[in-house]
Amino acid sequence: MNDEPEALPSAELVEDLFRREYAHLVSALVRVLGPSNVPLAEDVVHDALVSAMQAWRFGLPRDPKAWIIRAAHNRAIDIVRREQRHRSFLPELATTTALTDTIEAALAPEAEAAGQMAMMFAVCDPGLSRETHVTLVLRWLCGLSPKEIGQAFLVDTQTIDRRLHRGRGHLHALGRLPDVDDLPDLDVRRGSVLRSLYLLFNEGYHGSNPQDPVRPFLCDDALRLTELMLDARATAHPDVHALAALFCFGAARLPTRMDAQGVFVPLEDQDRRRWDRAGIERGLIHLGHAATGDRMSRWHLEAGIACEHAIAPSLQETDWDRIVGFYQLLAEQSPNPVVALNRALALAERDGVAEGRRELIALAHEPKLSRYPFYWAARADLERRGGRHERAREHYRHAISLARSTAERAAFERRIEGLKIS
Amino acid sequence: MSEPVGEDQAPRSTFMLIFRGGAVSRPDLSPSELQAHVEKWYRWSEELAGRGRRNAGTTLDAPGATVRGRDLVTDGPYAESKDLVTGSMIFEAASLEDAIEVARGCPTYEFGGSVEVRPVQDYRI
Repeated sequence: MNDEPEALPSAELVEDLFRREYAHLVSALVRVLGPSNVPLAEDVVHDALVSAMQAWRFGLPRDPKAWIIRAAHNRAIDIVRREQRHRSFLPELATTTALTDTIEAALAPEAEAAGQMAMMFAVCDPGLSRETHVTLVLRWLCGLSPKEIGQAFLVDTQTIDRRLHRGRGHLHALGRLPDVDDLPDLDVRRGSVLRSLYLLFNEGYHGSNPQDPVRPFLCDDALRLTELMLDARATAHPDVHALAALFCFGAARLPTRMDAQGVFVPLEDQDRRRWDRAGIERGLIHLGHAATGDRMSRWHLEAGIACEHAIAPSLQETDWDRIVGFYQLLAEQSPNPVVALNRALALAERDGVAEGRRELIALAHEPKLSRYPFYWAARADLERRGGRHERAREHYRHAISLARSTAERAAFERRIEGLKIS
Repeated sequence: MSEPVGEDQAPRSTFMLIFRGGAVSRPDLSPSELQAHVEKWYRWSEELAGRGRRNAGTTLDAPGATVRGRDLVTDGPYAESKDLVTGSMIFEAASLEDAIEVARGCPTYEFGGSVEVRPVQDYRI
Protein backbone atom coordinates (compact mmCIF):
# COMPACT_ATOMS: atom_id res chain seq x y z
CA MET A 1 0.00 0.00 0.00
CA ASN A 2 2.90 2.36 0.62
CA ASP A 3 6.39 2.58 -0.80
CA GLU A 4 8.27 2.82 2.46
CA PRO A 5 6.85 0.27 4.86
CA GLU A 6 9.81 0.67 7.23
CA ALA A 7 8.93 4.33 7.80
CA LEU A 8 5.47 3.40 9.02
CA PRO A 9 4.37 1.25 11.93
CA SER A 10 3.13 -2.20 11.04
CA ALA A 11 -0.03 -1.67 13.09
CA GLU A 12 -3.17 -1.63 10.99
CA LEU A 13 -6.72 -2.08 12.15
CA VAL A 14 -8.32 -5.42 11.48
CA GLU A 15 -10.66 -5.01 8.52
CA ASP A 16 -14.21 -4.40 9.68
CA LEU A 17 -13.16 -4.22 13.33
CA PHE A 18 -15.67 -1.44 14.12
CA ARG A 19 -18.53 -3.25 12.39
CA ARG A 20 -17.68 -6.55 14.07
CA GLU A 21 -17.38 -4.95 17.49
CA TYR A 22 -20.64 -3.11 16.97
CA ALA A 23 -22.32 -6.48 16.37
CA HIS A 24 -20.52 -8.15 19.25
CA LEU A 25 -21.20 -5.41 21.80
CA VAL A 26 -24.80 -4.60 20.86
CA SER A 27 -25.69 -8.29 21.18
CA ALA A 28 -23.78 -8.65 24.45
CA LEU A 29 -25.36 -5.52 25.95
CA VAL A 30 -28.90 -6.38 24.85
CA ARG A 31 -28.41 -9.74 26.49
CA VAL A 32 -27.50 -8.07 29.78
CA LEU A 33 -29.57 -4.86 29.67
CA GLY A 34 -32.65 -6.66 28.39
CA PRO A 35 -34.25 -6.54 24.93
CA SER A 36 -36.33 -3.48 25.82
CA ASN A 37 -33.09 -1.51 25.95
CA VAL A 38 -31.87 -2.00 22.38
CA PRO A 39 -31.64 1.76 21.73
CA LEU A 40 -29.59 2.20 24.90
CA ALA A 41 -27.20 -0.58 23.87
CA GLU A 42 -26.89 0.97 20.41
CA ASP A 43 -26.03 4.36 21.94
CA VAL A 44 -23.44 2.88 24.29
CA VAL A 45 -21.66 1.09 21.45
CA HIS A 46 -21.87 4.06 19.11
CA ASP A 47 -20.33 6.27 21.81
CA ALA A 48 -17.55 3.73 22.38
CA LEU A 49 -16.73 3.68 18.66
CA VAL A 50 -16.80 7.48 18.43
CA SER A 51 -14.39 7.75 21.36
CA ALA A 52 -12.10 5.21 19.68
CA MET A 53 -12.26 7.24 16.48
CA GLN A 54 -11.25 10.32 18.50
CA ALA A 55 -8.57 8.71 20.59
CA TRP A 56 -6.79 6.82 17.81
CA ARG A 57 -6.22 9.72 15.44
CA PHE A 58 -2.53 9.95 16.31
CA GLY A 59 -1.84 6.24 16.68
CA LEU A 60 -3.45 2.92 17.53
CA PRO A 61 -3.57 1.30 20.96
CA ARG A 62 -1.80 -2.03 21.37
CA ASP A 63 -5.06 -3.99 21.50
CA PRO A 64 -7.78 -2.05 19.66
CA LYS A 65 -10.50 -4.61 20.29
CA ALA A 66 -9.86 -4.62 24.04
CA TRP A 67 -9.83 -0.80 23.99
CA ILE A 68 -13.30 -0.65 22.41
CA ILE A 69 -14.67 -3.25 24.82
CA ARG A 70 -13.29 -1.29 27.78
CA ALA A 71 -14.83 1.94 26.47
CA ALA A 72 -18.23 0.26 26.02
CA HIS A 73 -17.93 -1.28 29.49
CA ASN A 74 -17.31 2.08 31.16
CA ARG A 75 -19.99 3.83 29.17
CA ALA A 76 -22.54 1.09 29.90
CA ILE A 77 -21.91 1.36 33.65
CA ASP A 78 -22.24 5.15 33.55
CA ILE A 79 -25.49 5.00 31.65
CA VAL A 80 -27.07 2.24 33.73
CA ARG A 81 -26.28 4.20 36.90
CA ARG A 82 -27.78 7.33 35.43
CA GLU A 83 -30.88 5.62 34.04
CA GLN A 84 -31.51 3.27 36.96
CA ARG A 85 -34.39 5.33 38.27
CA HIS A 86 -36.19 5.73 34.97
CA ARG A 87 -35.89 2.33 33.40
CA SER A 88 -36.37 -1.28 34.30
CA PHE A 89 -33.18 -3.25 34.14
CA LEU A 90 -32.64 -6.88 34.96
CA PRO A 91 -32.27 -7.46 38.74
CA GLU A 92 -28.55 -8.33 38.50
CA LEU A 93 -27.82 -4.72 37.60
CA ALA A 94 -29.27 -3.29 40.81
CA THR A 95 -26.16 -2.85 42.96
CA THR A 96 -22.89 -1.23 41.99
CA THR A 97 -20.64 -4.26 42.43
CA ALA A 98 -23.16 -6.57 40.78
CA LEU A 99 -23.47 -4.11 37.93
CA THR A 100 -19.72 -3.96 37.27
CA ASP A 101 -19.35 -7.74 37.50
CA THR A 102 -22.34 -8.42 35.28
CA ILE A 103 -21.24 -6.01 32.54
CA GLU A 104 -17.70 -7.37 32.77
CA ALA A 105 -18.95 -10.94 32.30
CA ALA A 106 -21.30 -9.98 29.49
CA LEU A 107 -18.51 -8.33 27.51
CA ALA A 108 -15.92 -11.05 28.18
CA PRO A 109 -14.57 -12.82 25.08
CA GLU A 110 -16.04 -16.16 26.22
CA ALA A 111 -19.57 -14.73 25.96
CA GLU A 112 -19.15 -13.26 22.47
CA ALA A 113 -20.45 -16.18 20.42
CA ALA A 114 -23.36 -16.96 22.75
CA GLY A 115 -24.48 -13.32 22.69
CA GLN A 116 -24.48 -13.08 18.91
CA MET A 117 -26.27 -16.40 18.58
CA ALA A 118 -28.96 -15.33 21.06
CA MET A 119 -29.43 -12.11 19.11
CA MET A 120 -29.54 -13.84 15.73
CA PHE A 121 -32.15 -16.38 16.83
CA ALA A 122 -34.20 -13.70 18.59
CA VAL A 123 -34.42 -11.48 15.51
CA CYS A 124 -35.24 -14.36 13.14
CA ASP A 125 -38.62 -14.65 14.81
CA PRO A 126 -41.05 -16.64 12.64
CA GLY A 127 -43.59 -13.85 13.25
CA LEU A 128 -41.48 -11.37 11.27
CA SER A 129 -41.02 -11.25 7.51
CA ARG A 130 -37.88 -12.45 5.73
CA GLU A 131 -37.00 -8.90 4.73
CA THR A 132 -37.21 -7.87 8.37
CA HIS A 133 -35.00 -10.79 9.43
CA VAL A 134 -32.29 -9.80 6.98
CA THR A 135 -32.57 -6.14 7.92
CA LEU A 136 -32.17 -6.92 11.62
CA VAL A 137 -29.26 -9.28 10.96
CA LEU A 138 -27.52 -6.59 8.90
CA ARG A 139 -28.10 -4.01 11.62
CA TRP A 140 -27.29 -5.92 14.78
CA LEU A 141 -25.07 -8.78 13.60
CA CYS A 142 -23.18 -7.09 10.77
CA GLY A 143 -23.12 -3.53 12.15
CA LEU A 144 -24.49 -1.75 9.06
CA SER A 145 -26.30 1.57 9.49
CA PRO A 146 -29.89 1.95 8.27
CA LYS A 147 -28.54 4.02 5.37
CA GLU A 148 -26.06 1.31 4.40
CA ILE A 149 -28.76 -1.38 4.58
CA GLY A 150 -31.01 0.76 2.39
CA GLN A 151 -28.22 1.12 -0.16
CA ALA A 152 -27.58 -2.62 -0.16
CA PHE A 153 -31.21 -3.44 -0.93
CA LEU A 154 -32.16 -0.37 -2.94
CA VAL A 155 -34.79 0.44 -0.34
CA ASP A 156 -35.25 3.88 1.20
CA THR A 157 -34.02 4.47 4.74
CA GLN A 158 -37.56 5.01 6.07
CA THR A 159 -38.51 1.47 5.05
CA ILE A 160 -35.42 0.16 6.82
CA ASP A 161 -36.26 2.23 9.90
CA ARG A 162 -39.78 0.79 9.89
CA ARG A 163 -38.40 -2.75 9.82
CA LEU A 164 -35.96 -1.95 12.63
CA HIS A 165 -38.81 -0.47 14.62
CA ARG A 166 -40.86 -3.63 14.14
CA GLY A 167 -37.86 -5.71 15.18
CA ARG A 168 -37.32 -3.65 18.33
CA GLY A 169 -40.99 -4.07 19.17
CA HIS A 170 -40.72 -7.85 18.90
CA LEU A 171 -37.61 -7.94 21.05
CA HIS A 172 -39.22 -5.64 23.60
CA ALA A 173 -41.96 -8.20 24.13
CA LEU A 174 -39.43 -10.89 24.98
CA GLY A 175 -38.45 -9.53 28.39
CA ARG A 176 -35.14 -11.33 28.19
CA LEU A 177 -33.01 -12.47 25.27
CA PRO A 178 -33.22 -16.27 25.50
CA ASP A 179 -30.12 -18.37 25.08
CA VAL A 180 -30.29 -20.60 22.03
CA ASP A 181 -30.47 -23.75 24.18
CA ASP A 182 -33.64 -22.47 25.85
CA LEU A 183 -35.63 -21.79 22.68
CA PRO A 184 -38.67 -24.07 22.39
CA ASP A 185 -38.94 -23.47 18.63
CA LEU A 186 -35.22 -23.72 17.95
CA ASP A 187 -35.58 -25.84 14.81
CA VAL A 188 -38.15 -23.56 13.17
CA ARG A 189 -35.97 -20.58 13.92
CA ARG A 190 -32.93 -22.36 12.55
CA GLY A 191 -34.73 -22.48 9.20
CA SER A 192 -35.37 -18.71 9.33
CA VAL A 193 -31.78 -17.99 10.33
CA LEU A 194 -30.36 -20.11 7.50
CA ARG A 195 -32.63 -18.43 4.97
CA SER A 196 -31.59 -14.96 6.18
CA LEU A 197 -27.92 -15.88 5.98
CA TYR A 198 -28.49 -17.21 2.46
CA LEU A 199 -30.06 -13.88 1.44
CA LEU A 200 -27.19 -12.05 3.12
CA PHE A 201 -24.64 -14.08 1.17
CA ASN A 202 -26.50 -13.53 -2.11
CA GLU A 203 -26.58 -9.81 -1.48
CA GLY A 204 -22.79 -9.93 -1.34
CA TYR A 205 -22.41 -12.35 -4.22
CA HIS A 206 -24.76 -10.73 -6.65
CA GLY A 207 -26.37 -7.80 -4.96
CA SER A 208 -28.91 -5.30 -6.12
CA ASN A 209 -26.66 -2.26 -5.78
CA PRO A 210 -26.12 -1.02 -9.36
CA GLN A 211 -22.71 0.54 -8.66
CA ASP A 212 -21.36 -2.18 -6.47
CA PRO A 213 -23.03 -5.55 -7.11
CA VAL A 214 -20.28 -7.70 -5.55
CA ARG A 215 -19.52 -7.03 -1.90
CA PRO A 216 -17.37 -9.81 -0.45
CA PHE A 217 -17.71 -8.52 3.13
CA LEU A 218 -21.37 -9.58 3.19
CA CYS A 219 -20.33 -13.07 2.03
CA ASP A 220 -17.68 -13.17 4.78
CA ASP A 221 -20.25 -12.18 7.39
CA ALA A 222 -22.74 -14.80 6.22
CA LEU A 223 -20.06 -17.47 6.53
CA ARG A 224 -18.85 -16.15 9.90
CA LEU A 225 -22.39 -16.26 11.36
CA THR A 226 -23.03 -19.72 9.90
CA GLU A 227 -19.85 -21.03 11.46
CA LEU A 228 -20.92 -19.54 14.81
CA MET A 229 -23.92 -21.87 14.63
CA LEU A 230 -21.59 -24.79 14.06
CA ASP A 231 -19.67 -24.01 17.25
CA ALA A 232 -22.79 -24.53 19.39
CA ARG A 233 -24.07 -28.02 19.95
CA ALA A 234 -27.75 -27.02 19.81
CA THR A 235 -27.45 -25.56 16.33
CA ALA A 236 -24.67 -27.60 14.68
CA HIS A 237 -26.96 -29.53 12.34
CA PRO A 238 -26.08 -31.07 8.96
CA ASP A 239 -28.09 -28.43 7.07
CA VAL A 240 -25.95 -25.71 8.70
CA HIS A 241 -22.84 -27.47 7.44
CA ALA A 242 -24.44 -27.67 3.99
CA LEU A 243 -25.06 -23.93 3.96
CA ALA A 244 -21.49 -23.28 5.15
CA ALA A 245 -20.22 -25.49 2.31
CA LEU A 246 -22.32 -23.58 -0.22
CA PHE A 247 -20.87 -20.28 1.06
CA CYS A 248 -17.29 -21.59 0.97
CA PHE A 249 -17.63 -22.74 -2.65
CA GLY A 250 -19.28 -19.46 -3.67
CA ALA A 251 -16.78 -17.27 -1.83
CA ALA A 252 -13.86 -19.23 -3.37
CA ARG A 253 -15.01 -18.09 -6.81
CA LEU A 254 -15.47 -14.41 -5.85
CA PRO A 255 -12.02 -13.29 -7.12
CA THR A 256 -12.97 -14.12 -10.71
CA ARG A 257 -16.59 -12.99 -10.82
CA MET A 258 -15.65 -9.55 -12.13
CA ASP A 259 -12.77 -8.41 -14.28
CA ALA A 260 -10.57 -5.35 -13.72
CA GLN A 261 -13.12 -3.17 -15.55
CA GLY A 262 -15.88 -4.26 -13.19
CA VAL A 263 -17.68 -6.42 -15.75
CA PHE A 264 -19.19 -9.80 -14.83
CA VAL A 265 -17.19 -12.68 -16.28
CA PRO A 266 -19.18 -15.75 -17.40
CA LEU A 267 -18.28 -19.05 -15.74
CA GLU A 268 -16.69 -20.44 -18.92
CA ASP A 269 -14.26 -17.50 -19.12
CA GLN A 270 -13.28 -17.44 -15.44
CA ASP A 271 -9.65 -18.26 -14.67
CA ARG A 272 -10.10 -21.26 -12.39
CA ARG A 273 -6.49 -21.08 -11.20
CA ARG A 274 -7.49 -17.94 -9.30
CA TRP A 275 -10.22 -19.68 -7.32
CA ASP A 276 -9.38 -19.93 -3.64
CA ARG A 277 -8.22 -23.53 -3.13
CA ALA A 278 -8.22 -23.27 0.67
CA GLY A 279 -11.83 -22.06 0.57
CA ILE A 280 -12.83 -25.00 -1.63
CA GLU A 281 -11.10 -27.42 0.77
CA ARG A 282 -13.00 -25.85 3.66
CA GLY A 283 -16.22 -26.29 1.69
CA LEU A 284 -15.46 -29.97 1.10
CA ILE A 285 -14.96 -30.50 4.84
CA HIS A 286 -18.32 -28.86 5.58
CA LEU A 287 -19.94 -30.95 2.86
CA GLY A 288 -18.53 -34.08 4.50
CA HIS A 289 -20.13 -33.10 7.82
CA ALA A 290 -23.38 -32.20 6.03
CA ALA A 291 -23.68 -35.76 4.74
CA THR A 292 -24.31 -37.19 8.24
CA GLY A 293 -28.04 -36.51 8.44
CA ASP A 294 -30.98 -38.31 6.86
CA ARG A 295 -32.54 -35.20 5.38
CA MET A 296 -31.56 -33.71 2.04
CA SER A 297 -32.25 -29.99 2.54
CA ARG A 298 -32.32 -27.33 -0.12
CA TRP A 299 -28.89 -26.25 1.17
CA HIS A 300 -27.50 -29.74 0.60
CA LEU A 301 -28.61 -29.67 -3.03
CA GLU A 302 -27.31 -26.16 -3.67
CA ALA A 303 -24.01 -27.02 -1.97
CA GLY A 304 -23.76 -30.16 -4.13
CA ILE A 305 -24.15 -28.06 -7.30
CA ALA A 306 -21.66 -25.43 -6.11
CA CYS A 307 -19.21 -28.20 -5.21
CA GLU A 308 -19.34 -29.74 -8.70
CA HIS A 309 -18.53 -26.35 -10.23
CA ALA A 310 -15.77 -25.63 -7.72
CA ILE A 311 -13.91 -28.91 -8.20
CA ALA A 312 -14.29 -29.22 -12.01
CA PRO A 313 -11.09 -28.49 -13.95
CA SER A 314 -13.06 -26.79 -16.76
CA LEU A 315 -16.59 -26.15 -17.93
CA GLN A 316 -16.43 -29.15 -20.31
CA GLU A 317 -15.08 -31.49 -17.63
CA THR A 318 -17.85 -30.61 -15.18
CA ASP A 319 -20.07 -33.46 -14.02
CA TRP A 320 -23.22 -32.07 -15.64
CA ASP A 321 -25.13 -35.26 -15.02
CA ARG A 322 -24.84 -34.82 -11.26
CA ILE A 323 -25.69 -31.13 -11.56
CA VAL A 324 -28.83 -31.87 -13.59
CA GLY A 325 -29.77 -34.44 -10.94
CA PHE A 326 -29.38 -31.92 -8.11
CA TYR A 327 -31.44 -29.33 -9.99
CA GLN A 328 -34.09 -31.96 -10.62
CA LEU A 329 -34.38 -32.71 -6.89
CA LEU A 330 -34.32 -29.01 -6.08
CA ALA A 331 -37.13 -28.34 -8.55
CA GLU A 332 -39.21 -31.11 -6.95
CA GLN A 333 -38.53 -29.89 -3.43
CA SER A 334 -39.10 -26.18 -3.98
CA PRO A 335 -40.33 -25.35 -7.50
CA ASN A 336 -38.89 -22.03 -8.54
CA PRO A 337 -38.40 -20.51 -12.02
CA VAL A 338 -34.74 -19.63 -11.41
CA VAL A 339 -34.02 -23.26 -10.52
CA ALA A 340 -35.79 -24.29 -13.74
CA LEU A 341 -33.64 -21.83 -15.69
CA ASN A 342 -30.44 -23.25 -14.22
CA ARG A 343 -31.62 -26.79 -14.82
CA ALA A 344 -32.20 -25.97 -18.50
CA LEU A 345 -28.67 -24.58 -18.78
CA ALA A 346 -27.21 -27.69 -17.17
CA LEU A 347 -29.25 -29.80 -19.64
CA ALA A 348 -27.75 -27.82 -22.51
CA GLU A 349 -24.29 -28.83 -21.29
CA ARG A 350 -25.23 -32.47 -20.73
CA ASP A 351 -27.58 -33.18 -23.64
CA GLY A 352 -26.74 -30.46 -26.11
CA VAL A 353 -27.76 -26.93 -26.98
CA ALA A 354 -31.01 -27.94 -28.71
CA GLU A 355 -32.26 -29.70 -25.59
CA GLY A 356 -31.46 -26.75 -23.33
CA ARG A 357 -32.99 -24.31 -25.78
CA ARG A 358 -36.24 -26.24 -25.87
CA GLU A 359 -36.45 -26.16 -22.06
CA LEU A 360 -35.67 -22.45 -21.92
CA ILE A 361 -38.33 -21.54 -24.49
CA ALA A 362 -40.85 -23.52 -22.48
CA LEU A 363 -40.14 -21.21 -19.52
CA ALA A 364 -40.88 -18.00 -21.47
CA HIS A 365 -44.32 -17.65 -19.89
CA GLU A 366 -42.91 -17.44 -16.34
CA PRO A 367 -43.56 -13.83 -15.29
CA LYS A 368 -40.56 -13.77 -12.96
CA LEU A 369 -38.19 -14.92 -15.71
CA SER A 370 -39.55 -12.59 -18.38
CA ARG A 371 -38.17 -9.68 -16.31
CA TYR A 372 -34.97 -11.49 -15.30
CA PRO A 373 -31.98 -10.34 -17.40
CA PHE A 374 -30.15 -13.64 -17.01
CA TYR A 375 -33.04 -15.54 -18.54
CA TRP A 376 -32.67 -13.53 -21.74
CA ALA A 377 -28.90 -13.76 -21.60
CA ALA A 378 -29.22 -17.55 -21.26
CA ARG A 379 -31.56 -17.67 -24.27
CA ALA A 380 -29.07 -15.52 -26.17
CA ASP A 381 -26.10 -17.71 -25.20
CA LEU A 382 -27.79 -20.83 -26.56
CA GLU A 383 -28.85 -19.09 -29.78
CA ARG A 384 -25.27 -17.92 -30.21
CA ARG A 385 -23.93 -21.40 -29.64
CA GLY A 386 -26.49 -22.74 -32.12
CA GLY A 387 -25.14 -20.29 -34.72
CA ARG A 388 -28.22 -18.00 -34.79
CA HIS A 389 -26.41 -14.76 -34.08
CA GLU A 390 -29.17 -12.34 -35.16
CA ARG A 391 -31.56 -13.96 -32.73
CA ALA A 392 -28.84 -13.96 -30.06
CA ARG A 393 -28.31 -10.22 -30.44
CA GLU A 394 -32.03 -9.59 -30.03
CA HIS A 395 -32.05 -11.50 -26.74
CA TYR A 396 -28.88 -9.86 -25.45
CA ARG A 397 -30.47 -6.49 -26.14
CA HIS A 398 -33.48 -7.56 -24.17
CA ALA A 399 -31.18 -8.62 -21.33
CA ILE A 400 -29.42 -5.23 -21.46
CA SER A 401 -32.74 -3.42 -21.17
CA LEU A 402 -33.47 -5.37 -17.97
CA ALA A 403 -29.94 -5.24 -16.51
CA ARG A 404 -29.73 -4.00 -12.93
CA SER A 405 -26.11 -2.91 -12.85
CA THR A 406 -23.39 -1.60 -15.13
CA ALA A 407 -21.48 -4.82 -14.48
CA GLU A 408 -24.36 -6.86 -15.91
CA ARG A 409 -25.00 -4.53 -18.81
CA ALA A 410 -21.35 -4.45 -19.86
CA ALA A 411 -21.14 -8.24 -19.72
CA PHE A 412 -24.06 -8.55 -22.18
CA GLU A 413 -22.68 -5.79 -24.41
CA ARG A 414 -19.40 -7.62 -24.59
CA ARG A 415 -21.28 -10.71 -25.79
CA ILE A 416 -22.91 -8.72 -28.59
CA GLU A 417 -19.49 -7.45 -29.70
CA GLY A 418 -18.36 -11.07 -30.08
CA LEU A 419 -21.25 -11.99 -32.39
CA LYS A 420 -20.65 -12.49 -36.10
CA ILE A 421 -23.30 -10.43 -37.81
CA SER A 422 -22.73 -9.22 -41.34
CA MET B 1 10.74 34.11 7.83
CA SER B 2 9.20 35.03 4.56
CA GLU B 3 12.15 34.02 2.42
CA PRO B 4 12.77 30.32 2.35
CA VAL B 5 16.44 29.38 2.43
CA GLY B 6 18.30 26.13 1.77
CA GLU B 7 16.74 23.17 3.52
CA ASP B 8 19.48 22.73 6.08
CA GLN B 9 19.42 26.20 7.55
CA ALA B 10 15.67 26.70 7.13
CA PRO B 11 14.50 28.37 10.31
CA ARG B 12 11.94 26.19 12.05
CA SER B 13 9.13 27.46 14.15
CA THR B 14 6.65 25.66 16.27
CA PHE B 15 3.00 25.61 15.27
CA MET B 16 -0.12 24.32 16.86
CA LEU B 17 -3.10 22.91 15.01
CA ILE B 18 -6.36 23.12 16.91
CA PHE B 19 -9.03 20.73 15.66
CA ARG B 20 -12.70 21.66 15.92
CA GLY B 21 -15.84 19.64 15.20
CA GLY B 22 -15.66 17.05 12.44
CA ALA B 23 -16.78 13.44 12.69
CA VAL B 24 -17.60 13.81 16.39
CA SER B 25 -20.39 16.22 15.57
CA ARG B 26 -22.01 13.72 13.20
CA PRO B 27 -24.19 11.28 15.13
CA ASP B 28 -25.24 9.40 12.01
CA LEU B 29 -21.89 7.87 11.06
CA SER B 30 -21.84 4.09 10.75
CA PRO B 31 -19.19 1.84 12.33
CA SER B 32 -17.53 1.39 8.91
CA GLU B 33 -17.46 5.13 8.30
CA LEU B 34 -15.93 5.75 11.73
CA GLN B 35 -13.25 3.14 11.11
CA ALA B 36 -12.44 4.43 7.62
CA HIS B 37 -12.18 7.94 9.05
CA VAL B 38 -9.82 7.12 11.90
CA GLU B 39 -7.67 5.13 9.48
CA LYS B 40 -7.26 8.29 7.41
CA TRP B 41 -6.26 10.23 10.52
CA TYR B 42 -3.55 7.95 11.77
CA ARG B 43 -2.18 7.43 8.27
CA TRP B 44 -2.03 11.19 7.93
CA SER B 45 -0.26 11.70 11.26
CA GLU B 46 2.09 8.76 10.59
CA GLU B 47 2.88 10.15 7.18
CA LEU B 48 3.77 13.50 8.77
CA ALA B 49 5.94 11.70 11.32
CA GLY B 50 7.66 9.88 8.45
CA ARG B 51 8.55 13.27 6.95
CA GLY B 52 10.24 14.32 10.17
CA ARG B 53 7.15 15.98 11.58
CA ARG B 54 6.63 13.69 14.48
CA ASN B 55 3.90 15.49 16.31
CA ALA B 56 2.64 15.52 19.82
CA GLY B 57 -1.01 15.02 19.07
CA THR B 58 -3.55 15.21 21.86
CA THR B 59 -7.12 14.10 21.93
CA LEU B 60 -9.75 15.68 24.13
CA ASP B 61 -12.62 13.69 25.51
CA ALA B 62 -16.03 15.29 26.10
CA PRO B 63 -17.62 16.78 28.14
CA GLY B 64 -15.29 17.67 31.05
CA ALA B 65 -15.92 20.95 32.86
CA THR B 66 -15.45 24.67 32.42
CA VAL B 67 -13.97 26.72 35.24
CA ARG B 68 -14.58 30.45 35.39
CA GLY B 69 -12.99 31.47 38.64
CA ARG B 70 -12.62 29.62 41.90
CA ASP B 71 -16.33 29.07 42.57
CA LEU B 72 -17.67 28.90 39.09
CA VAL B 73 -17.39 25.44 37.57
CA THR B 74 -19.87 24.18 35.01
CA ASP B 75 -20.26 20.91 33.17
CA GLY B 76 -18.83 20.54 29.75
CA PRO B 77 -17.76 23.02 27.24
CA TYR B 78 -21.12 22.94 25.50
CA ALA B 79 -20.10 24.84 22.45
CA GLU B 80 -21.88 24.15 19.19
CA SER B 81 -20.53 20.71 18.38
CA LYS B 82 -19.03 21.98 15.15
CA ASP B 83 -16.99 24.48 17.21
CA LEU B 84 -16.03 22.04 19.94
CA VAL B 85 -12.27 21.69 20.33
CA THR B 86 -11.52 17.98 19.93
CA GLY B 87 -7.74 17.95 20.01
CA SER B 88 -4.54 19.62 19.03
CA MET B 89 -1.18 18.89 17.51
CA ILE B 90 2.19 20.58 17.85
CA PHE B 91 4.88 20.35 15.20
CA GLU B 92 7.71 22.25 13.56
CA ALA B 93 7.32 24.00 10.25
CA ALA B 94 9.34 26.44 8.19
CA SER B 95 6.63 29.07 7.97
CA LEU B 96 2.96 29.72 8.48
CA GLU B 97 2.39 28.79 4.83
CA ASP B 98 4.17 25.53 5.41
CA ALA B 99 2.05 24.85 8.51
CA ILE B 100 -1.13 25.67 6.58
CA GLU B 101 -0.04 23.20 3.92
CA VAL B 102 0.16 20.52 6.62
CA ALA B 103 -3.29 21.46 7.91
CA ARG B 104 -4.70 21.18 4.38
CA GLY B 105 -4.00 17.44 4.40
CA CYS B 106 -6.01 16.84 7.57
CA PRO B 107 -8.89 14.35 7.11
CA THR B 108 -11.26 16.30 9.36
CA TYR B 109 -12.85 18.24 6.48
CA GLU B 110 -14.56 15.04 5.30
CA PHE B 111 -17.13 15.57 8.04
CA GLY B 112 -17.14 19.37 8.29
CA GLY B 113 -14.35 19.85 10.82
CA SER B 114 -12.03 22.86 10.87
CA VAL B 115 -8.40 23.38 11.81
CA GLU B 116 -6.95 26.50 13.34
CA VAL B 117 -3.23 27.04 12.66
CA ARG B 118 -1.36 29.11 15.29
CA PRO B 119 2.32 29.84 15.76
CA VAL B 120 3.59 28.96 19.23
CA GLN B 121 5.77 31.61 20.88
CA ASP B 122 9.26 30.45 21.60
CA TYR B 123 10.67 31.77 24.88
CA ARG B 124 13.88 29.78 24.73
CA ILE B 125 15.76 32.56 22.97
